[in-house]
Amino acid sequence: MSFFSIFKMTIPVLMGYIPLGMAFGLLLSGLLIPWYYAFFMSVFIFAGAGQFLALGMFATQATILEIGIATYLLNLRHTFYGLSMISALKEFSWKKHYVIFGLTDETFALLKTNEVDEKERERIYLIITALNQSYWIIGSVLGALLGNILPFNYKGIEFSLTALFVVLSIDLYNKSKQRKPFLISIVIGFIGMLALPSDKMLILSLSFAAIVLILFKRALEDGN
Amino acid sequence: METSYLIGAIFVASIMTYLTRVTPFLFFRKKEPSQLIKFIEWNMPVMIMVILVFYALRDVQWEVYPYGLSEIIGVFIAATVHVKFKNALLGIFLATLTYMILVQMVFIV
Repeated sequence: MSFFSIFKMTIPVLMGYIPLGMAFGLLLSGLLIPWYYAFFMSVFIFAGAGQFLALGMFATQATILEIGIATYLLNLRHTFYGLSMISALKEFSWKKHYVIFGLTDETFALLKTNEVDEKERERIYLIITALNQSYWIIGSVLGALLGNILPFNYKGIEFSLTALFVVLSIDLYNKSKQRKPFLISIVIGFIGMLALPSDKMLILSLSFAAIVLILFKRALEDGN
Repeated sequence: METSYLIGAIFVASIMTYLTRVTPFLFFRKKEPSQLIKFIEWNMPVMIMVILVFYALRDVQWEVYPYGLSEIIGVFIAATVHVKFKNALLGIFLATLTYMILVQMVFIV
């Protein structure tokens, strides 16, 4: 498969990553963080929602430990994605670790929806991942630089994070078999938001959700 | 923001992100995961995401003007645009734009 036809496969991700990356970069510059951190984050972390979350936590001066826990929990869905990629990457060399590193929502969706010949798979997967990451890096650096140049009021741009969570919640709800966990987490989140101290809200609500899920596994599976 | 804080946080976030992606390749190469693990993996992501929505709204002052109206409208737009047009990015973009207009020009505190 030619490089150009692989590039064509990644165009939907290009269309998504440039604007979303720019939103990330703009937000980063709105927090008065130097632009090259947008580059470092997109090179070393490479997680859309994860990087937005990190910025939100920088803004509230969260500790590094809290950032670590929250990042792990937010990206836990990737563990689930990876389960269905094990056989596809089985024959790959050590280079598979780059593909695993780059298994974002969008890259995963792309790899899953495009059937490729087994002999060419390693090369194609590596190129797709590298192209996708380069779009994300370009978008975020562009956004960060733009934020430094343009005299524009970015107040409220952090809402992109809330909107991202709303959209991802709907996607995951549509994909899940059970309805009850969704409803229960609305109740837990709502109470947590109103009643729990804002710096401990996330970890307490998530722990409580996990406990409810494990204790009431049987009841939650019954009916939909 | 301090350089050491930013670099430390980026380092930790990158390790954690990679960890979530590499876990299945390390642990489930041969063995099938247990029923309970599968159940958690199926259901925890949606719960995490919903709780993150409320987490993102935790500092809204609901009892003070404008009573979180910008946030409620923003969430509503993100959800309806995404459901109607099946386009996540459009939903995020329009919701954020509306929110910025609301907090900057409409509900000025």
